[in-house]
Amino acid sequence: MTEVSETDRWMGRLNTVLLILAGVIVITPTVWMILSSFKFSHEVTAYPPKLFFTPTLANYATLSETTPFLHYGFNSIVVTASSTALGMLLGAPAAFVASWTRITWPAIVTLVARMAPGTLFLLPWYVMFRHAGMIGSYWSLILTHAVITMPIVIWVLLPFFDNIPRSVFEAAQVDGCSPFRIFRRIALPLVSSGLAVSAILAFVFSWNYFLFALVLSNSDTKTLIAASFNFIGEGSTNWGGLMAAATLIALPPLILATIVQRWLISGLTLGAVKG
Amino acid sequence: MASISMRNLVKHYGDFAVIPGLNLEIPDHEFVVLVGPSGCGKSTLLRILAGLETVTEGDLFIGEDRVNGVPASKRDIAMVFQDYALYPHMTVRQNMAFALEMRGMGKDEIEQRVNRAAELLDIRQYLDRRPKALSGGQRQRVAMGRAIVRDPKVFLFDEPLSNLDAKLRAQVRAEIKALSQQLRTTMVFVTHDQIEAMTMADRIVVMKSGVIQQVGTPEEVYEQPANRFVAGFIGSPAMNFIPVTVDGAGLRMEDDRILNTAGIFSRELQDADKTRKLELGIRPEHFTVAAGDPDAIKVDIHLVEPLGSDTLVHFKLAGIEAIARVSPDLRPKPGDRMALKPASGKAHLFDAETGEAIH
Repeated sequence: MTEVSETDRWMGRLNTVLLILAGVIVITPTVWMILSSFKFSHEVTAYPPKLFFTPTLANYATLSETTPFLHYGFNSIVVTASSTALGMLLGAPAAFVASWTRITWPAIVTLVARMAPGTLFLLPWYVMFRHAGMIGSYWSLILTHAVITMPIVIWVLLPFFDNIPRSVFEAAQVDGCSPFRIFRRIALPLVSSGLAVSAILAFVFSWNYFLFALVLSNSDTKTLIAASFNFIGEGSTNWGGLMAAATLIALPPLILATIVQRWLISGLTLGAVKG
Repeated sequence: MASISMRNLVKHYGDFAVIPGLNLEIPDHEFVVLVGPSGCGKSTLLRILAGLETVTEGDLFIGEDRVNGVPASKRDIAMVFQDYALYPHMTVRQNMAFALEMRGMGKDEIEQRVNRAAELLDIRQYLDRRPKALSGGQRQRVAMGRAIVRDPKVFLFDEPLSNLDAKLRAQVRAEIKALSQQLRTTMVFVTHDQIEAMTMADRIVVMKSGVIQQVGTPEEVYEQPANRFVAGFIGSPAMNFIPVTVDGAGLRMEDDRILNTAGIFSRELQDADKTRKLELGIRPEHFTVAAGDPDAIKVDIHLVEPLGSDTLVHFKLAGIEAIARVSPDLRPKPGDRMALKPASGKAHLFDAETGEAIH
């Protein structure tokens, strides 16, 4: 009895140490980024790194003076919100049908598309959008980002739909519902937390996606993440400005994740157990 | 309200025939119970009726309409599911009103129907609660309420009592029976519990491996079972089966004891019976204690189960474990010897090879 509790205690301590370690590994780059955004450029690259320094808002001031930051922010919001909405619009019914019919291979195809490197799609898309005269348009970014958001929505929602007892759908059928009405009136309200989780994850992934925006946007439609590339020059990099931009870019997803962290965890756990 | 007709109905899952070919007529207003062990095809048949499973071959009629290809949503059938299948995000009122909304019924009419059903089932006080705030019995009532508000052609019940405790099950059983008499709608009820079948049904359909073994009133399937399977399935404790052969005017058991059958069967044993291997079927409640009767069989009791109203005594008869239901006043004890005799006209004979009853 004593031996077991002693083992448990050590396991508990080990868990705590591992959790702290994981936390440090995850948080360090973010803290580093935020601290660096309040340093002068030469301090950012100083070795050994300076933990104690006089903070400055110079990087943020430079950012607002040299870059149309609000315009890029607006572009990011348009592209991310639209691609998330499009991903939800296509992904939620797809996940429902995959769960209903138990045919998951189309969902696997979308996952494979998501896992493939973006560069694989880039050239064909570039050619396609150029022919269509859509390079530099919001639509080219929204459509390409939907390839990122839709698989996320499908794979987050699939276990949520699987989790609803099949008899509930059958009862709705007997009650006179068409499949679309079952989806709208029964299935969707029952996976509301899944919808929130998938929307947030899709938003974050789309917001942070760099490659498509870099190639398919122009100066009018450039997103924040692509614009931040401007701080990396050929000869030198404005690290302070880059860190300030990165901090501002990371802020919306961070705030979003903090607000809905309880939902997020339960949603992801459900996926882990059922998926 | 409608009759149901199944003609040469076949259901395959891949190469496996769950229902190899079934014919059944259910008249309007009848309460039919499909009963059988797990995997006998009774739930599949109910789901075919509901439109939740397709028919592989054959014809299914509800009323005058052939409904083979008609989706569940268009069959005007109400179903109570084993797990109740209430909509968790809706209140009881919304659950009950949902099917009526789907049919485009007016709000006043819906309100009126929901209130009437809630009154009938005594669930008015729960109308604004969600299903998770209800007990199992209350959820069961809501599921029934959801079915009856629709006033459908046919009610289907898929083992709706199996999640209730014994006391509640008996209560709800009686309520469903009373409801069926009140509503006078065609009802098909699936269960594996023969007590539910016996107590509720106008007619019982006993199934095994997708094949109907017998269709009859509870009295018929109990008193005149068509075969050994029905005889063993209906009745609790189950019927005792003793291997026998005809010997003169009696039946020879495997321990060579002769059971005098004079007055036991309603007919004389035939010559044809003499060449067959037979099984004698006697229900536990159809043994009579016959102390002093020279034709009685003497058995040694090795287990006694007092039930209050009756007492079950266990003994070996020709090497077979058998049970008799006797009066508790006899106060039998393990080790006692008891003289038993099959009650007049209550014993059954079955062909040992085919299992068919020999009438």
